[in-house]
Amino acid sequence: MIPSLAVLQVDAPHFHMPRIWLPLFLLWIPVLLVSPLILIVIFGVSMAGRISPWRAIAVFWSILCGLSGTHIQVSTHDSKVLVRII
Amino acid sequence: MNENRRQILEMLAAGKITADEAEQLLAALEPGASATAGTFTGKIPVSDPSAESTVKTRAKYLRVLVEANEKGEPTTVNVRVPMQLLRAGVRLASLIPMQAHDELDKTLSRHGIPLTVSQIKPENLEEFIDHLEDLVVDVDSKDEKAKVRVFCE
Repeated sequence: MIPSLAVLQVDAPHFHMPRIWLPLFLLWIPVLLVSPLILIVIFGVSMAGRISPWRAIAVFWSILCGLSGTHIQVSTHDSKVLVRII
Repeated sequence: MNENRRQILEMLAAGKITADEAEQLLAALEPGASATAGTFTGKIPVSDPSAESTVKTRAKYLRVLVEANEKGEPTTVNVRVPMQLLRAGVRLASLIPMQAHDELDKTLSRHGIPLTVSQIKPENLEEFIDHLEDLVVDVDSKDEKAKVRVFCE
């Protein structure tokens, strides 16, 4: 399943960003609209690199789908970084 | 009701397995569960107590946990990477153009890595990822007061 939400949080001594929930599902709508253009670019780049455009699309799609469930959290005594993709 | 499903529910009702274990077992019974379910390595009691079987489903995440003390201050790293993303990542290697393979091989061997990229096949990579599921790395350092755990769940 493609990611639908991302959670970001950065807490550092000189920079504080509260926990932000990014609704990625809203991003997919404009991406869908420009998908013909994206496809043309992918085909062009794939042809230039002499690789199968279908394989390239399949790989990038599987990377996109594989992103959901990613969780990265780094905490020190005065800093914290959190990235979650749901 | 499916016989396996009934057996799992009976074991749960009898208190032989926990609710979490039952959930994992039920998930393992779902079609296509081999690609999505978590790992359960507990013993499943069967009607014959002398014969116990072990169910193992595929791991879903690679976890890296680091607990360290830097200058007396605690530092923790908690990373969870979906196995699906790892699989997709290794498939990305198949997009390397053939003409780049020689250059890549030369550079890798120059840096002490005798690897022939062209000989890496997608099935080898799948096998590699599958074997990662059995990986458990525990590093304990008493001097540095650091603990590193790498495992799949």
